[in-house]
Amino acid sequence: MFYVNKLRDICYRNDFYLSLLLTKDMAGSWLGAHIDGVLLHAGDVRAPADVFGDIYQVFLILGTLVGVVVIAYTLYNSYKYRAQDGAAPESVDRPSLGELPTSGGGGRKLFLSFSISAIIVLSLIGWTYTTLLYVENEPAQHEDRMDVDVVGHRFSWEFVYPNGHSATGTLRVPKNELVQLHLTSNDVFHNFGVPELRVKADAIPGQTTTAWFVGKETGEYAAHCYELCGSGHSYMDATVVVMERDAYREWYNTTSGGNETEAVKP
Amino acid sequence: MSSHEHGLPPKSSISRWFLTTNHKDVGILYIVTALFFLVFGGVLALLFRIELWEPGAQVLSELSYNQSVSAHGLLMVFWFISPFAFGFANYVVPLQMGAEDLAFPRLNALSYWLYLFSGLLFGVSFFQGSTFAGGWTMYAPLNVPAYIPDGALGATTAVLALVMFVASVTVSSVNFLTTMYRMRAEGLRMRDLPIFSVSILLTVWMMLFAFAALLAALMILSADHIIGTKYFVYQITQSGAVTRTVGNEAASLLWAHLFWFFGHPEVYIVFFPALGVMAETFQTFAGRRLVGRKWFILSMVLVALQSFMVWMHHMFLTNINLTIKTVFMATTIGISLPFDLMMFSLIYTLIKGKVRFKTPFLFTLGSVILFIVGGITGVFLGAVVLDYQFRGTYWVVAHFHYVMVGGATALFGGLYYWYPKMTGKMYDEFLGKVNFAMYFVGFNLLYFPMFVAWETPRRVFEYEAGLTVWHQIATIGGLLLGASFLVMFYNLFVSLWRGADAGDTPWEYATSAEWAVSSPPPMDNFPGLPSYRDGSLSFLSESAVAARLRGDGTASTDGGDPTADGGVATGTALDTATETHLETEDVEHADHASIWPFAVGLGAFLTMLGLSGVQQGTIVGTEYAALLGVGGVVTFGSLVAMTREPFHAPEAALAERFPYADVEKLKLGMWVFLASDVVLFGAFIGSHAFIRVAHGWREWHNLIPAEHVTMPGLINTYLLLTSSFLVVLAMVAAKKGSRRGTVLSLVGTLALGIGFLVNKALEWQHLFHVHSEAFPQGWDLSTNVASSTFYLTTGLHGAHVAVGLVICAYMTIRAWNGAYQGDPDAIEYFGLYWHFVDIVWLFLFPLFYIL
Ligand code: HEM
Ligand SMILES: [Cu+2]
Ligand SMILES: [Cu+2]
Repeated sequence: MFYVNKLRDICYRNDFYLSLLLTKDMAGSWLGAHIDGVLLHAGDVRAPADVFGDIYQVFLILGTLVGVVVIAYTLYNSYKYRAQDGAAPESVDRPSLGELPTSGGGGRKLFLSFSISAIIVLSLIGWTYTTLLYVENEPAQHEDRMDVDVVGHRFSWEFVYPNGHSATGTLRVPKNELVQLHLTSNDVFHNFGVPELRVKADAIPGQTTTAWFVGKETGEYAAHCYELCGSGHSYMDATVVVMERDAYREWYNTTSGGNETEAVKP
Repeated sequence: MSSHEHGLPPKSSISRWFLTTNHKDVGILYIVTALFFLVFGGVLALLFRIELWEPGAQVLSELSYNQSVSAHGLLMVFWFISPFAFGFANYVVPLQMGAEDLAFPRLNALSYWLYLFSGLLFGVSFFQGSTFAGGWTMYAPLNVPAYIPDGALGATTAVLALVMFVASVTVSSVNFLTTMYRMRAEGLRMRDLPIFSVSILLTVWMMLFAFAALLAALMILSADHIIGTKYFVYQITQSGAVTRTVGNEAASLLWAHLFWFFGHPEVYIVFFPALGVMAETFQTFAGRRLVGRKWFILSMVLVALQSFMVWMHHMFLTNINLTIKTVFMATTIGISLPFDLMMFSLIYTLIKGKVRFKTPFLFTLGSVILFIVGGITGVFLGAVVLDYQFRGTYWVVAHFHYVMVGGATALFGGLYYWYPKMTGKMYDEFLGKVNFAMYFVGFNLLYFPMFVAWETPRRVFEYEAGLTVWHQIATIGGLLLGASFLVMFYNLFVSLWRGADAGDTPWEYATSAEWAVSSPPPMDNFPGLPSYRDGSLSFLSESAVAARLRGDGTASTDGGDPTADGGVATGTALDTATETHLETEDVEHADHASIWPFAVGLGAFLTMLGLSGVQQGTIVGTEYAALLGVGGVVTFGSLVAMTREPFHAPEAALAERFPYADVEKLKLGMWVFLASDVVLFGAFIGSHAFIRVAHGWREWHNLIPAEHVTMPGLINTYLLLTSSFLVVLAMVAAKKGSRRGTVLSLVGTLALGIGFLVNKALEWQHLFHVHSEAFPQGWDLSTNVASSTFYLTTGLHGAHVAVGLVICAYMTIRAWNGAYQGDPDAIEYFGLYWHFVDIVWLFLFPLFYIL
């Protein structure tokens, strides 16, 4: 019942069909136009968290379904065709010792079920691909986005704001703003992730990676390191604080602009 | 019986196990050793599962936790699962294909000893401060000394243990490939191999190439540890401040590429043998032939090929671009489809079967179910947007345990399946079923909750309190799973004495040849020469073989020619046979005992341990220097002794050798080895190019002193080319029977080779000590990444030259004493190697001297 409800929820959402039917370019330009014309902030943007939620649900439902059916069918067959004492003599041709291996019959059935599974898998992946294009290309559509540099250190996270302000351990962002992270590392390979906001990317020394999110609810979100980086790895956390836009602006104005750097400990 | 043991002491004697080269003995050694490492890795796992009972570090310290997870992963992936499968491969494949042993029995024993000693070496690393603690994926730069606290000795040892392990795998791959292409029973085409043997064949092909890439990665990593090259580090920081920059932007990504180029094929390398066991047991216990066998095999072939084209799906969260992501998403999903077909094929094989739920079948049926779960959750990961979030979490942990340990489940089925064959005794069926029940319940209690608690980051002991209950269920499942092995070991151990006699085959409907001989099989495996010429297995008596060799056999009236596909040119088989047919008689006197494989393994162990004491170019203690010295002498001495020892591995008089009927087995072995060496050099050259592109192709010149000129390289090119020519002359002279010509040409080769090395030494010496404005301290191995790639890549080539020269010197002495005249094969094989080394130089020279 739970799944049925979920499935219905998802199907009632327009963007579900949208992503099913449109290629990303079409979807993107549609969304882009929407944004240019009407929106002042990114509150209506389909954030990675929404994208993930939908896909994950569909995969879970279908995955469970396929798994249950296939496993049940396997067990059913093995039980149905179990050896029985005193069974009537049969006409089945059974393998014998020393024969050269050959195929058993049933090739058609094999291809039929293979094709069905292939169709399921390919259509699922095809669908998620449109969302991948969306996730990859969306930030470029938002010139008013907020860009933050994230630097991994053993064992803390440093955030550098556009004005040069640098803070360790806490990232503050305004609500409903598309935040683009630019990640790198000062020492070893880390991975920055905020599970609830569904944002995650590697932080690699000598390289820059990007990821984005939109905080649609104010509050504090836990961030972790997802790549083993040494003895303090388990404790390498940070907090993302999503603030009301005014409160954020007020706070941001108190930070020193320009290139001055001040470390804020949480 | 004992008269057939070929100079080996009886199995009850300890010394037998040090001397043996027989594939069945080696198989058992592999299995027992692998189970030992399973326990080792398993205990570590229980340790950190207990740590995970509650969030936070209670039982283990932070660093011990990291050590346990890392060592657990490495032990299970390398020292348990594949060697376990190769225990069966050793035991069963020669029997299934009708060979008396592997092509190179002593090399097979050598593979085993290198494997065992590499594992012991890994064990030693725990006692050198701490073992490697950077995860089994060993990401850079956490894997280099600069980021390893308190000296990196243990970590270096762990890396060297892996190098040794890869050496074992490579030797073994060469051996299996040569065997499987040249030693099949008459009438057994490649496509007729029983399905388990097919799975091993494909596994070995993947191993040959994948492990060569890993070897490159590990050699470079050991160089970063031992001689201080700077491949895997971008900059060195101490308490937040950058203390050293190296100019290597590609460092971390390079490791990830090299590792996963190996790592993804590796998952199929561990899984294919399991697939083989599944298919084999499904046929036997359902009493049905595998449905769509041809398609099943084709699927495996496709997977094996494509496995080298999916590695970047482990890197979706790095900065690879959208196009690459798209390609790798497509290949990843593509590679999952053949598995669907294979699973359906197994399931349909049950239909109209007479399914008997014996322990082996229970395990393989369980394995199929676990794999279905693992496969479905793998498709989740293939959807890139989902992978973004699953990466680094327990979802991945759960997924790969379902597939990998799911695969191991089939191998445990294989253990029960072949146990009666190996021991001649039946295990206890009731205990077997108890074992399975505990195992299966324990497994799912352990790993399924990880899907539920997937938001837990991987490799941490801190997690959200709300997930505690799932982790506790998992820990309980882990303990149950562990306990199930106690039942298994008890059962298998006690049955050695108490088990009922198994007879030739306890399994109705088993078809492959291992079941047609006694349990355990005699030393020579078969009561006669196995043949499938008449469409099914028969054993030819000596007189029948002799008659066939005279040509009578071809006239026999068996209408259907099983070799119609050109699989066997009967003519060629006969040619080879006439040279060797006497050996069917010699076999009785052949001595299958050799202590040298063990000695080489021991020597390598000591050498590697000594080497771990060299850190960044300085040796940390005299004991390490001593180990290094002793180890070197033992290794070299044993290698020489092994070459000089008379040892005869007979080839059957009649065998299927397509398509290598005309290629002598040593030559085939050499080709196969060189194929892996191509990948090794390819990975080195690729690494260089990758680093240079990341740094800036032009800017690269700023990292190189003006004193680095073309001339020495050019001279060396001429030296090598000329020496290659001389090897050809040596061969021609030997063919003509001119001892003088042979010796002279070989001496010339030797001289030119030495000239090459001397010239190189002078060049390096000069570069080490340049004094320019840009390089006031000289230009040595650790100056920057350009010097690192230059010295290491050309150094690897130089090492190949040096090895070649040792062989050449040995051959010169033998030629002086009159060897090779009229029989230049050995020179030809050496020539293959030497020309190859030459060709590699033709790539290195422009890359490092001109561009
Ligand atoms: C049905 C086909 C499969 C698909 C689509 C699939 C997909 C994936 C993907 C995309 C990842 C990367 C996850 C990440 O780190 O973000 C992964 C990880 C992994 N897979 Fe699979 N997989 C499949 C089957 C297998 C099999 C057969 C094995 C082994 C027998 C296997 C073993 C692993 C391992 C060991 C990892 C984790 C490596 C690590 O990060 O430590 N997978 N899989
Ligand atoms: Cu970390
Ligand atoms: Cu993979």
